[in-house]
Amino acid sequence: MSLTAHVYQIYIAATPEQVWSAITESEWTKRYFHATSYVEPPQQGRRYLTVVADGRPAVDGVIEEMQPPAEERAGRFVQTWHTRYDPELEQEPASRVEWTVENAGDGLTRVRLVHGNLEQSPLTWENVKNGWVWVLNSMKTLLETGHPLPRVRDDQTVIEAANA
Amino acid sequence: MEEERLQQERLEQGGEVFRALADPTRRALLDSLFGHDGQTLNELCEGFPEMTRFGVMKHLSVLAEADLVVAVRQGRTKRHYLNPVPIEQVANRWISKYAARFTSALVALDDHVVAGQETEESRRAELG
Repeated sequence: MSLTAHVYQIYIAATPEQVWSAITESEWTKRYFHATSYVEPPQQGRRYLTVVADGRPAVDGVIEEMQPPAEERAGRFVQTWHTRYDPELEQEPASRVEWTVENAGDGLTRVRLVHGNLEQSPLTWENVKNGWVWVLNSMKTLLETGHPLPRVRDDQTVIEAANA
Repeated sequence: MEEERLQQERLEQGGEVFRALADPTRRALLDSLFGHDGQTLNELCEGFPEMTRFGVMKHLSVLAEADLVVAVRQGRTKRHYLNPVPIEQVANRWISKYAARFTSALVALDDHVVAGQETEESRRAELG
């Protein structure tokens, strides 16, 4: 299988500004993004580092583009992505994550995430594949209901939920 | 009001996905993208020689409406990507909660059978 980009799209019942905050501000990311947060607020052209709850590094890279959504204009947040949470993935070169946040009308926002430049990073390619689906669903759930998805969703929780 | 609207949306969620998946050609297109994501229209058409270009385009647009396929423009080429998000949502909302009952029932059945075999074996061992 050739390693092309991963592309995800999700609709969220929130304003583009709210979604933008959820992507770029630690107070939000720590609630839905595996409890990760930015060590310093991300800035265009600057390096960034995110850490997990106990302070260990999660991901680092450069913020290549940071343009908040505005009237008639989509928000763009582009970051290079170098995994730090796993020693094997850490050996692979940085890839690129591009977020596009767009008003889809009627209190609805379309979020598109493209994770590309993965040609030299087969382990990261495989690792993030399903991870992003969970992160995006968790962000949607948090913005729409005020609560993120439960942290662990293994078969047992599904069975318990079904039998409840 | 807002709550009602969300409730309604939740109920309708998946309708377009199921309609899009109801057609075998569209499922074959998704399989084609699953095997090789990011194909152009030309590349997709090559896999479906029996279909016209217009036919493939029409099916792709239904898949795009259901958000199952996302077209991304890169310079002059337009590439089509499989979007796994709606499938996951449909699976969570409509499949896992029903399937879990069968899964748990089967696990229980399996335990029962294994336990039965063990008793049988130990009984035989005792007899032997």
